[in-house]
Amino acid sequence: MLKWDELQKANFTDSNARARAYGLVDKGTFTEFVSPKDKLSSPHLPVLGEAIEFDDGIVTGVGLIGKRPIFVVSQEGKFIGGAVGEVGGAKMVKTIKLALRAYEDVKKEHPDSYEDRLPAVVISFETGGVRLHEANAGLLAHAEVMDQIQDARGKIPVITIIGSKVGCFGGMGFVAAATDVVIMSENGRLGLTGPEVIEQEIGKDEFDAGDKALVFRTTGGKHKYIMQDCNFLVADKIGAFKTQLDEVMKIPFNEIEGYRRIGSLKLVEEQLELVKKAVEIAPKDSKDMWKYFGNENPESLTNMSYDEFMKSVKRRERICK
Amino acid sequence: MALNEMKFEFKAENPKSINKGWSHFGVVGSGDMEILMEKMDLNGSVQVKIVTPVTGFDNVWGMVMEKFIRSSNLGDVYIEINDNNATPVVVSMRLRQALADANKQEEEVDEDA
Repeated sequence: MLKWDELQKANFTDSNARARAYGLVDKGTFTEFVSPKDKLSSPHLPVLGEAIEFDDGIVTGVGLIGKRPIFVVSQEGKFIGGAVGEVGGAKMVKTIKLALRAYEDVKKEHPDSYEDRLPAVVISFETGGVRLHEANAGLLAHAEVMDQIQDARGKIPVITIIGSKVGCFGGMGFVAAATDVVIMSENGRLGLTGPEVIEQEIGKDEFDAGDKALVFRTTGGKHKYIMQDCNFLVADKIGAFKTQLDEVMKIPFNEIEGYRRIGSLKLVEEQLELVKKAVEIAPKDSKDMWKYFGNENPESLTNMSYDEFMKSVKRRERICK
Repeated sequence: MALNEMKFEFKAENPKSINKGWSHFGVVGSGDMEILMEKMDLNGSVQVKIVTPVTGFDNVWGMVMEKFIRSSNLGDVYIEINDNNATPVVVSMRLRQALADANKQEEEVDEDA
């Protein structure tokens, strides 16, 4: 693997899950839980004649950002599309559980200054959701991860990172939406039903999954940033995500709740307002919404470089904050 | 339906083990594989275990592995490979990359994030 300094300059999209995990925390601080040497691979795949991986497609571990322990979950999209099965799901669940235990310990040992050492969970999503080969075990894993995220609420921040073209879809789309802060890059994609599935179920007239421009302006990072489905948009470098994480760690914990997009009556009302607006505007394309939110020339946004985009983009105004 | 498991053992001349205690390289993507190398006292030989969905190419695997081990004079290493339809060219390349990674000095490892 590349050294940490080189990792910071590496493209997030092209890096593997382990490189991302090492690069998202401070230099030399990452320790992996259940590494490949432990050879904890899926018990279900060999029966089906499917290839296995020693880490079951999920890298977990802990590192530091400043004094704060950062519990990292990093999914590998190249292994069965990042689909989450029993072992990988259990690794996710246990990592969040450990973060919660660290929270209790830190609070006990540093009752006056525990906010400086408050643990956080960072999940780098690269998945289409449930690993269908493992059906019920995969679904259960999703439910348990969701459960842990609810347990973490109000105690420690849970931060989503999406920076690859596999993106975050299916059941894990729900999980990502339930976290406190979402950081994406332009290459990241977020949604529930993936483009291919929509096309297959309803037809090409509804959604042409082969139209990459359409796919990206419907599910991609830029669109999610304008619509406030993601809080921060960063360049496609591991270092850019790391820098943004450093910034998020500086946000006082009582303000973290304000970054959520769902999860309270007020936020539900805000989402319903948006639905009303959608009926009123009746958009034919995401560009109609971009224009509505003040982007005079929405066509030009799609091809803009990251820096230009950030300078000129207008976003939806949040009601709650 | 079950996965195909192969085991090989080779002994090179003047065998030399790897620097790190263990080393992992690669991702089991489509047409790709991962390699786990562990330093182990095997009387100078190399033991290999390969797990793959592919059947009918055990001889090719044997030849590729033997060529790699003899040309790199590797010894006292236990190699485990999880494969997902990698071609022999990819296998040879990944093995060389994995070996380079496994031979980084321990100091370098510490510096590695």
